[in-house]
Amino acid sequence: MKQLSIMVDMDRCIGCKTCVVACRNHHNLVNHRSHMPGEIPFYIKVESQAEGTFPHLKEDFWVSPCKHCKTAPCATACESGAIRKDAQTGIVLIDKDKCTGAKKCIEKCPYNVIQFNAEKNYAHKCNMCYDRVVHGEEPVCVEICLTNALSFGEKEILKMQAQANGKEIIKAMSSQSIIYVKSSS
Amino acid sequence: MYEDGWIPTVCYQCKAECSILALVKNGIVQEVKGNPRARGKMCVKGMAGITSLYSKERLTHPMKRVGERGEGKFERISWDEAMEMMETKLRALHEKGEGHKFTYSMFPHSASDPKWRFVNAYGGFISTGLPHCDSGKIMAHLHTFGCFPNHHIAPMYFSVPKGGLMILSGRHPFGCMDDACVAKDILDAKERGAKLIVIDPIFRPEAAKADWWIPIKPGGDAAFFLGVCNYLLLNNLHNKEFCDKWVREGDMEKLLDYIADKSPEKMSAICEVPAADIIKLAKMVAEAPSACIDAFKSIMYGNAMDWGQVWSIFLVITGNLDNPGGQPLPELTPMAPVNPVPTPPNLKELGYHRTGPNREKFDHYNFILEPTWYAAQAIKEGNLKIFFATECNPALSEMGAAAWREAVSMKDDDGNYMLDFFMVSEILPSETMKWADLVLPDQTNYERWELLYMPWWYNYSHGASLCRPVVKPVGEARHTNNVIIELGKRMFPEFFAFKDDVEYYDIELGGVGMSIDKLMENGGLWSPGTVGFYKYKDKKKFDTPSGKIELDWNMYADINQQWPSPELPLEYRKEEDNFPFILINFRTIFLNNTGAWSHNNAQLRDPVSGLDSNPIMINPIDASRLDINEGDTVFLESTTGKVSSIVQLTEKIKPGCIGIIHGFGQTVGQVATMVSCFNDNELIADAGSHLDEQDLRGGEAHVSTRVTIYK
Repeated sequence: MKQLSIMVDMDRCIGCKTCVVACRNHHNLVNHRSHMPGEIPFYIKVESQAEGTFPHLKEDFWVSPCKHCKTAPCATACESGAIRKDAQTGIVLIDKDKCTGAKKCIEKCPYNVIQFNAEKNYAHKCNMCYDRVVHGEEPVCVEICLTNALSFGEKEILKMQAQANGKEIIKAMSSQSIIYVKSSS
Repeated sequence: MYEDGWIPTVCYQCKAECSILALVKNGIVQEVKGNPRARGKMCVKGMAGITSLYSKERLTHPMKRVGERGEGKFERISWDEAMEMMETKLRALHEKGEGHKFTYSMFPHSASDPKWRFVNAYGGFISTGLPHCDSGKIMAHLHTFGCFPNHHIAPMYFSVPKGGLMILSGRHPFGCMDDACVAKDILDAKERGAKLIVIDPIFRPEAAKADWWIPIKPGGDAAFFLGVCNYLLLNNLHNKEFCDKWVREGDMEKLLDYIADKSPEKMSAICEVPAADIIKLAKMVAEAPSACIDAFKSIMYGNAMDWGQVWSIFLVITGNLDNPGGQPLPELTPMAPVNPVPTPPNLKELGYHRTGPNREKFDHYNFILEPTWYAAQAIKEGNLKIFFATECNPALSEMGAAAWREAVSMKDDDGNYMLDFFMVSEILPSETMKWADLVLPDQTNYERWELLYMPWWYNYSHGASLCRPVVKPVGEARHTNNVIIELGKRMFPEFFAFKDDVEYYDIELGGVGMSIDKLMENGGLWSPGTVGFYKYKDKKKFDTPSGKIELDWNMYADINQQWPSPELPLEYRKEEDNFPFILINFRTIFLNNTGAWSHNNAQLRDPVSGLDSNPIMINPIDASRLDINEGDTVFLESTTGKVSSIVQLTEKIKPGCIGIIHGFGQTVGQVATMVSCFNDNELIADAGSHLDEQDLRGGEAHVSTRVTIYK
């Protein structure tokens, strides 16, 4: 199996959203002149969960890009063959030239991470910065992460690194190709 | 002049001014990121700076007021007319011998910022946000060990050893207002075995990452740490060797006398932290190789000087000064002076706080800048006639917003405004410009030169960094530094004999053997490459009058305030029955506080990448008692103001407190006004008209209050 991955260290993610903006800048998703809040596409989002009652509280933060699913429901749903899981990297890619704007992928994505360009009629999403990673660079979100909470690499190697660093893999969140880890408590 | 590629420059989405790289393609800034040759990080505000640069709401030409102040009606004028307006007004005041009635509210980007130079040459005063945010800490540390750390002088987290304690007391450093790398440095320190202790009435991401979260009653920090110091001293757990060598003779004995009755049990009753936890922290401190405190909100209350003094005492008796993991004592980068240097007027004699009927009350005001919180009062008293504001938003940032609006709109018997002239320069529409007579379009950090070498940077190890224009400016925007330099050339040519800002910086850089060209070849950075520890040992003294650490502030002996009060801030000790809740107005990474540019930045107000609401946070225990539910619209009322907003029930706030985010309230600009968000300073009493509540030693004016909440 060839699968590139991003590992999210929940001990370090603070939910700052720096990656969201850097990703938009890199992928040219934002019209700085005219976009208004609430209408700007995004390829990555921040989520969090708080538990407990005052003063016994816990809160985790993490980022949620496309999970580059093992068997991608978006690819299965796409009738125009515009979505494929790249055999060399495991990255799920949308070919916007083949996209007919049917939005089936958006309906089937369990993670709600696919965007739609209504003006040009195509779906688009995180491609794990394919153009960067095939040239040996990290995805932008990994490079600029404020707290170095993100790591990039071969999924199996990242898992080994997590174990070597005493991190527990959160299996319920890591069923696809993005890995979530935190210290064993 | 402009080139494509990754260009080293400096961010200015907040005061941290992190060194960054900007990717320019075909004359357009495409991407930005932290400069790996500095500390390598850039936060969400910085990343969104491109949106500020290219926003359709950028101010692009000078405008003058055509309606009344507050109406926000302007007409376009030329730069020539704008310069003429400023020069005429400034000359008239100066020729009357009243230069001291001019103040410039700004953030100086260096100790020799050209705007500050002009103010000094003119004989006026600058009134930065420092008195709001830092005076308690600055004055406390100056008095005690003769150093000038402000709130940006955070502990150097990268230097905290294994086992060291990082104590955040009312501080949210993950907001990156010191440097974008701070969150990473704290988490790195944790990974190598340092402990993170967060003392805070609200549970923020810092508390979520903490080894120990201690919810405290707001303003109880002085009492809490007095309890810690009491335990350390009475149990002989302090650093006796350090104190014997460096504390002024007799001060330790006086401290012991003073602190003897500040037991953990007694202090617990004030700060609402169990005595056992105060003792637990004291024992942890005694065993740790280092301990540092980073505080912010807790130095913005009316008892800031008390807390600052306790903080100083804690650092001294534990020996945590200028050591790895302790409190850094920074030095100024030795830039060359641009001679002749204008001599500033005497603040203690001519400052606008010293010329009105309250002058006697300020006899013990020791801070180094004008109290911004007295500006409204000074206008009313006729002591402030010309106001310039650059990169700041006093209409939102001044405590007592209503009183500020009243002052800048007030007219004399002849129908003339009491404040004769008000200039605002900004990059995006600001609340303040509604009251301005003249609005000037400023340049962003991507369009201008700036030499930065402030001693209060977190990233001390690079001594200077260069902000350089990487793209052409939009419209007719001019960097305000150059506007003021031109005014200087017209009015005080002897002090502005240099060609332009670049030549000014060139001369200064000669002090470290550099020039603008060399700095650009050097990646925009100059650094001695070392921070330096225990510098007082090399000097064999501290920079106090005695050369020793001075715990006893005998300059306040005549008002019996040479030792700190453990009490809560005065603003929390009044009207408790009618206003039972304490307001916590906190900051987030998504706002540069009241800075106009972050409020009109679409990415920072976007729900996915920023913050699009300012709910009223209340603990469910309190809400249940008041029959308040999630999503209810409620009123929040203080003794001086009233606002309305939506309720958010959350366990992440101490019962008895109400939480809101500081900085909102802008009513100008399409982005800022998409969601109605109120300004917390509508609730705060005007500090200048409530001098009886102020710490007139140069400490903080209150930035908080008690409130009541109802449907």
